[in-house]
Amino acid sequence: MARTLSRRTLLRGVFGGSLVSLALPPLEAMLNSHGEAWADEPGPIRRYGVFFWGNGYAWNTRGRADRWTPTSTPLGWTPSEQLAPLGPDAAGRSMTDRVSVITGLEPKTDIPATPGGQGDGHMRGVAVALSGDRPRSEGFHHPDHIFALNRPTLDQVIARHPRFYGTTPRFRSLELSVSNNRFHDYGTWTAISYNDQESQNLPIRSVDALFDQLFAVRSDDTTDRALLLDAVADDARRLQGLLGARDRQRLDAHLEHVRTLQRELTDAQAACQMPSRPGRAGGFDGTAGNEALLDKVDAMARLLALALQCDMTRVFTMMFTGPGSQTVFRDVGATTGLHQLCHDENWELSRRATIYSMQCFRRLLDILAATPDVGGGSVLDHTVLLGTSEFSAGDVHEVGNFPVLLAGGGSGALRPGAHIHMPDGNLASVHLTIQQALGLGVDAFGFNGGQTRDAISQLLR
Amino acid sequence: MQTLPRCLALAAALLGCNGVVGDRPTSPGANTATARAGNEHPSAVLPTFAPAGPVLATLTTTQYRNAVSDLLGSGLPDVALEPDTNPYLFTAIGAARSTAAERTVRAWETAAHRLTEAAFAVPERRVALVGCTPTAPDAPCVRAYFERFLRRAWRRPATVEELDRFVALSRRLGARDAWTGVRYATAAALQSPSFLYRVELGAPLAGKPGRRRYTAYEMASRLAFTLWNSVPDDALLDAAARGALDRDDTLRTEARRLLRNPRARSAVRAFFVQYLGLGALDGLARDPTLYPEVTPALAASMREEVERLVEDVVFTHDGDFRAVFSSTSTFLDARLAGLYGLAIPPGAEGFTRIDLPLDSGRGSLLTTAAILAVTAHPNATSPTARGRYIRERLLCERVPDPPMNVPLNLEAGDSGVRPTLRDRLERHRRDPACAGCHSRTDPVGLGFEDFDAIGRRRTMESGRPVDARGDLDGVTFVGARALGEILARDPRVAACVVRQVYRFATARLETDAEAGVLADLEERFAARNYRFLELLVELVASEGFRTVADEGR
Repeated sequence: MARTLSRRTLLRGVFGGSLVSLALPPLEAMLNSHGEAWADEPGPIRRYGVFFWGNGYAWNTRGRADRWTPTSTPLGWTPSEQLAPLGPDAAGRSMTDRVSVITGLEPKTDIPATPGGQGDGHMRGVAVALSGDRPRSEGFHHPDHIFALNRPTLDQVIARHPRFYGTTPRFRSLELSVSNNRFHDYGTWTAISYNDQESQNLPIRSVDALFDQLFAVRSDDTTDRALLLDAVADDARRLQGLLGARDRQRLDAHLEHVRTLQRELTDAQAACQMPSRPGRAGGFDGTAGNEALLDKVDAMARLLALALQCDMTRVFTMMFTGPGSQTVFRDVGATTGLHQLCHDENWELSRRATIYSMQCFRRLLDILAATPDVGGGSVLDHTVLLGTSEFSAGDVHEVGNFPVLLAGGGSGALRPGAHIHMPDGNLASVHLTIQQALGLGVDAFGFNGGQTRDAISQLLR
Repeated sequence: MQTLPRCLALAAALLGCNGVVGDRPTSPGANTATARAGNEHPSAVLPTFAPAGPVLATLTTTQYRNAVSDLLGSGLPDVALEPDTNPYLFTAIGAARSTAAERTVRAWETAAHRLTEAAFAVPERRVALVGCTPTAPDAPCVRAYFERFLRRAWRRPATVEELDRFVALSRRLGARDAWTGVRYATAAALQSPSFLYRVELGAPLAGKPGRRRYTAYEMASRLAFTLWNSVPDDALLDAAARGALDRDDTLRTEARRLLRNPRARSAVRAFFVQYLGLGALDGLARDPTLYPEVTPALAASMREEVERLVEDVVFTHDGDFRAVFSSTSTFLDARLAGLYGLAIPPGAEGFTRIDLPLDSGRGSLLTTAAILAVTAHPNATSPTARGRYIRERLLCERVPDPPMNVPLNLEAGDSGVRPTLRDRLERHRRDPACAGCHSRTDPVGLGFEDFDAIGRRRTMESGRPVDARGDLDGVTFVGARALGEILARDPRVAACVVRQVYRFATARLETDAEAGVLADLEERFAARNYRFLELLVELVASEGFRTVADEGR
């Protein structure tokens, strides 16, 4: 099928220190991925995103000063050393007015006594940060390689919420992974987005794959490929009746993916700004210990921003580094993975790695802020973007003073630019705040001891 | 909060470690091997057998690749698939528990087209596959092809109705070109759940309510995926058709036939790679400033050494499996020989069997660079990790994670003299919060201190002679090789491998009601002099492998 290219208008400007081209937003008459005009949809477009980094921040425990918590000011906050990348850049532009920092929070979910060790470990941190629940107890046997979430992660709760999408999006969500390093060879540590306990949304791990999924020109056999999937779906339905409830659900999910694929193959492609395929000498992926992380964030974020602008999806997660990741931060002079550096108490390199991670977060914010949106403003203005990790002080697997950054304007629902200090506050209040900012009509959130009805009112308009 | 109050941490530690060993298993990961202390006859104390519920596993990436190669022929392009998960060590268990991700389904769709395009691109090749040059997309020979192809791909005969649908699909998509129709319908067969899922439901068993027996074709599938990591061949499906898989003796005969096929070697290799955690060698993280010699190629050689060592014991000698722990020879290529400081015969290419001199300190699986590297940190050895590996992987015991908020590093001390790791680990023994668990791991792992984090022999550490004295449950030893000899005689090791291979084969954890099956397999393993292939034959002939709970549908 021929691809429709919209009128391309380029906006030139200095961006991230280099000259870039930015696409202007689609015209109001442009269609979304289903051919319906946006104008028919109720309310403003709101989006949700996650930027996740592994291993927490460089710690403030055991005699180290706190280099994470920012200083509150009457108008907002002044970055701490580790949050400095969110402050003024070389051109003097700051992101502190677009990002709120919430400090003092900790997960309140209970910690079952058996099997032991459930208060610890990367899994609880990821589970509480992204799902608002503790993990399942069976997940606590280190060599068993289980990442046992108890429920869907918040991104999928939002993406599947009946109030969130007016029409079926082209992609219910996009999952991206930047660093290719993993915690050992644990296959279940490859995703931070879950539909359900055993149902991961595996991330797109390469810039090329992301480009192909969003923008590649279709081959001419898509109609036949889609038609053939009818036969596949027929076979699946025949099998359904023979299966137990759990396996039937698994096959249902598989069928849903088949239908998604089928829709993608047959639907009219959205009239989006068509970027050229990102390139980089040596590629974006590098090898273990030699990853160009900032460049890869940059390339992925640009493609992501266009996908959001074009309303291909409204939910995304960017796993910058994985939970417990052994990502080697080459660009700050590290030669050993961050997980090891933390446990070796290599504070200096851990500190630099945290700052570098915040530079990457900043790059994502810059790109979303520089991408104009449909109804005016920037893509970031219409997004609620959670930046978080699985720990605070990674060296001791601490979860007190959890790192929480909340960026974007949420189409006016979110009041960014604040530092909210909530000593012993409930981490789930962030999740509740996010859902309220997205207009989901949710008045409580949290599980297994972590329930709260208190959103962070200072952050909501 | 910096650290937990001492008493709390202590309580957690005591609960965590002392509560596990010797107890009845209370959780899936717990140990049945130590549960039967006292050497009484196992079946006397074990619960009555009842089969476990059904599992619906997808093909693992390896099974998918093997299967399409068996179905379409070798030399196909490598297709991108999403990585397997490996809960409880095994990708088959991950495939049985995980819901297929959207990207996985996407990858299967792309792969089915790329593979069939390649298989149908060359005229001779497609004629050989289909068995004719079809005059029409629904010609009789096309129907005959799908009858053959679907039987093997789906591990059962297709129904008439299914055949009709595939021929109709071929007709519909082959309007312009018959080959295109056949190719598309083949791609559809490879995306069908009947191919991608192992649908094994069983049939009611007369006189045994609540129990179903896997059908002959399901048994063919189970045998093939367990012993070949792939789909059955036509001979195995023929054996199923004539009832040869319903009887113990002919089932064993068929299993032995499969084990003589080279596919069995790769399946057994796959088991040991997963069991021993050698997947960690793919992308092995080592600090290049400390270990500049580590390259992906060296890590691949490390893995290959273990696979060859296992294959030699299991297949070439068909001998006592425990010999992998006491072997005095191994297989090295030039890279590994360089790492080990050993010579290989001039002119030798690839891997060569090398007899290990006594003064090399090597001999046994435990002295392979692979095992030594996957149990070390990126920048140092870890006696704790190595001890834990012995306890958990090889003895099937359980060592919990450290209690929360405990600093996990060991201070270097302030005496001015750089302490050895052994000195630093003293803290684990002095501090009662740590000692509960570390007394079970560290004394074992310290016996490996004669090898560094990439498996090089060393005689000095931190400027002092290496002290590689170790202790496993009161049995003292010096050096990893000596520990290997101890493990070769330890009954827990054989019991552990039985349990692990049972999980690998059934794609699930064993249930309490299967303890008798495992105990019986342990006895049969011993009675057959610990020949691993015989263990596999007995496993596939066991009731646990052949029956499934009737869940009343």
